[in-house]
Amino acid sequence: MEDIIPKFNYIVVVVLMMTGLWSMLAQGNLIKKCIGMAIFQTGIILFFISIGAKNDALIPILTEGANHTFDNPNIDKVTNPLTQILMLTAIVVGVATLGVGLALAQKVYQQHDSFDEDEILNNQTK
Amino acid sequence: MADLPIWHYDTLFLTLALLFGITALAMQNLMGAAIVFGAYSFLMCLIWTTMGAVDVAFTEAAVGAGVSTVFIFATIYNTGVSATPNSPRIAFKIFAGLIAFGTGAFLLSALPDFPDWGDPKSPVNSTIAPYYIANSITDAHVPNIVTTVLADYRGFDTLLETTVVFIACIAIYSILRIDNAKSKVTEPDIITSPPAYDPTDSLIIRQASRIMVPFMQLFALYVIAHGHYSPGGGFQGGVILGASIILLSISFDLKHVLQQWTEKKIMILTALGVLIYAMVGLACILMDGVYLDYAALDSVLPGDEAYARSHGILLVEIGVGITVMFSMIGIYINLASNGRFDRGL
Amino acid sequence: MEYIAYFFIVVGLIFFLGTSIGLLRFPDFYTRMHAAGKGDTLSTVLILVGCIFAVGNQGDLNWILALKILLIINFVFIGSPTATHAMMDVGERAGAKPWNKKGENK
Repeated sequence: MEDIIPKFNYIVVVVLMMTGLWSMLAQGNLIKKCIGMAIFQTGIILFFISIGAKNDALIPILTEGANHTFDNPNIDKVTNPLTQILMLTAIVVGVATLGVGLALAQKVYQQHDSFDEDEILNNQTK
Repeated sequence: MADLPIWHYDTLFLTLALLFGITALAMQNLMGAAIVFGAYSFLMCLIWTTMGAVDVAFTEAAVGAGVSTVFIFATIYNTGVSATPNSPRIAFKIFAGLIAFGTGAFLLSALPDFPDWGDPKSPVNSTIAPYYIANSITDAHVPNIVTTVLADYRGFDTLLETTVVFIACIAIYSILRIDNAKSKVTEPDIITSPPAYDPTDSLIIRQASRIMVPFMQLFALYVIAHGHYSPGGGFQGGVILGASIILLSISFDLKHVLQQWTEKKIMILTALGVLIYAMVGLACILMDGVYLDYAALDSVLPGDEAYARSHGILLVEIGVGITVMFSMIGIYINLASNGRFDRGL
Repeated sequence: MEYIAYFFIVVGLIFFLGTSIGLLRFPDFYTRMHAAGKGDTLSTVLILVGCIFAVGNQGDLNWILALKILLIINFVFIGSPTATHAMMDVGERAGAKPWNKKGENK
């Protein structure tokens, strides 16, 4: 137990990712698949952010010192900005992908009149 | 357990986020699932704020808890809202459960090798990140290290990310857009006819949104321009701008918004942002630098080389903001009106 | 200064608790929206007022920060009741019936 608590964030990340993955595979509804994909993506983003976090660290926006100049920042007290930048890109790409997925789902609905996978399959093979 | 180097609030938040995620997937009503997904996104935004990632939390609040939920609503508005499955699909679920469980166990088997949560000396925090932290002020005079790395040190990634958003907008246009004059669809494929727009209805909603939209846009412009000194930047400002127009199109009629922001304008302006970004890079080549090396522009922009980089970052952020704004508007209008551009949410 | 902040935040949280209980226990759509809309707005405004007093201790530009939080309170005050009104309007149009004392029309 003592060595799980410092690594609790990885367990939550893996459970979130696997929930999203399970939902993408097993749920029949197309919209639920899209939501599962979004949950998977936020799980990945949580992973990157949590490995960039540091104890007792401040945000990566430097503030002016006493005489209106920026001193050399203490590296250990500034959160890692690199992982955050990668995740900014990931969030925006994620919403773009979600938009395309929803557009495809809507087009499928227009053709087959249902969001359910099994019904669509039955419609196609009729 | 008092000396463990983790944050106890974060543990509680993470568990709650897990519960919300599972609830969002288990709900049968699709609208309820979309709402719980919005709440899940917002909770993730809080988690990331407590872990020190304020820019990411800002983007997630604008994008995930705001625009994504509206997209899901726009998709299911014209269609059925209940998701009761016809068959329980037991075999599917068990098989998928085995795959998910196996992958999860495989990933977790490496758990003892991961660095501790919050360790300042972990490998992630020791390679190039200290260089960025130490040199952001001297290289570009920008206190927000995230903005510097995003638009200056890693400018290529941001250019291609903006292009990805633009391509997604084009893709949705090409999937959904139906030209009414040329299509032979005779009966509407909308189940319930939307209520007729009566100008005396919903006076309160129209007035309130009329008050809020100019302030939203002003705040979004502030976020873009002040991204050097506070959490913000091009993406967040662009999404808030797009959300202001989406608010207008929800509270008023979609046709009113389309009279002002015609389809041609939206498409041209979506491309304009990417063009601005690419042209800034090209201007750097014309001034004897490499692509996207803003220091080469210091003969044109005021200040020395470091300030030239700061202004270059502002220029590309403006381009990013324009593209993201009109992409969000374009995606929303396509999803909400099934590509017909006549009426929406 | 900090104790005023604590007081306001705690009072805001108590109102939030009342809102949540009302959301669960009221019998009908309209009464639940009533509880949600009013309680939500009031507790958010109280917590934000507590935040104004909490940032009063930091630095010399704290009045700008207090002004920004006042603007946030302003927009929450405009937006949140409007959203509640929108939901109730749509609910009435969709045909939700108010609660009857005999227990029907739940």
